[in-house]
Amino acid sequence: MSALVLGAGGFLGLNLVDALLAQGVTPRCGRRRRSAVLALRERKVPLAQADLDAPDELCAAMAGCRTLFHAAGHYPRLSLDREAALTTGLRQMRNVLDTAAASGVQRVVYVSSAATAAPATGPSDERHLHACMPGLGTYHDLKWTMEQVALHENRVEVVVACPGACLGPWDLRAGTSALLYALARGLDPPHPDGIVNLVDVRDVALALVRLAQHPCPPRRLLLSAANHRLHELLAALAPRYGALPPSPPLSAAEAIRLADAEERRSLATGRRPGVSREIVDLVVHGVPLDAALSRSALALRYRPLEETLAASDEWARRMRFIPSPQVTP
Amino acid sequence: MNLDERIIGMIAQLSAVRRAEIGPTDRLREDLGLDSVCSMELLSMLAEELDVDIALEEAMAVTTVGGAIEMVRQHLGARADAV
Repeated sequence: MSALVLGAGGFLGLNLVDALLAQGVTPRCGRRRRSAVLALRERKVPLAQADLDAPDELCAAMAGCRTLFHAAGHYPRLSLDREAALTTGLRQMRNVLDTAAASGVQRVVYVSSAATAAPATGPSDERHLHACMPGLGTYHDLKWTMEQVALHENRVEVVVACPGACLGPWDLRAGTSALLYALARGLDPPHPDGIVNLVDVRDVALALVRLAQHPCPPRRLLLSAANHRLHELLAALAPRYGALPPSPPLSAAEAIRLADAEERRSLATGRRPGVSREIVDLVVHGVPLDAALSRSALALRYRPLEETLAASDEWARRMRFIPSPQVTP
Repeated sequence: MNLDERIIGMIAQLSAVRRAEIGPTDRLREDLGLDSVCSMELLSMLAEELDVDIALEEAMAVTTVGGAIEMVRQHLGARADAV
């Protein structure tokens, strides 16, 4: 397999690179001018400039590649400017697909999000996709819009993977993990309640590789190991980190107000918001998922949560995101 | 421009704080507003521009501007005064 990974330096991207290397495939790894590439340099993989706003760079990066993994879909740091996020996301997605079609790429494996799953009477599966822009927040609208472009692409084969909330090693940005890291540091993170669909990032990475190799893959696939209620999960995990049980959850309206205020503060100071609006939206509007198709079509066996948490904790301790347990003599 | 000035110049590209106000004791996160991803971008820039291999774990242990300078100096060794 000759493959290019866009977003190779990110959380999922690094795990995907590892999954490919484990199968004997050395992917070309796309990077922006300003990218965190230390982990890629450690892996001794070839790097290629591939800014999603630079079609010439994309073209050079895709040259000779039959498979394109697109794990670099626009993820705005803040949700305050919905129109700008949609404009950027659409433009970059079109750049990627136009270039892939012109470059002879045979298959694009595009990483979308479980945020595009629509509610159903029971757990949602691949049939349940919002028929129009969900209007649940910038992140949901952006992911839905980009996914629509991917699903309507007819010049090159595109398969769409929709992972739930990923946990595991290499989460430098600390998205979903941020709440767990806060617990482990003895903090009491404010949070809403709702459904979260947890999945081990390494299982997602393996699923992406299998989607690339599958002779006739499903066009769209949900990737989720289990559904949890967030507050129950945090309460159950608090003892794991020697933490007190978390305070009761915020209402959806309170959580959205807090996240919006945090994002405005972030805009003014340049510092990361304490609570991200997209995480709040994902939790508040989360739906239970049935990812049976991924198990059958890709022969996936999702790791149990304990195994995922063990790997996530071990990595986060090495990186000093969370403290190591005190050893008593 | 000496090594320290080059490194502070790179930090200034990623931080909202003006270059003239950045000093060795500044903390990357608390004082300069660099989150973990920005810090990794900074150390990636240093690794690439100065051609040094920095392990991720080692990079994560760096918390101040002076710490970043010291880490790069150690990696460069005798080359430190030549870059």
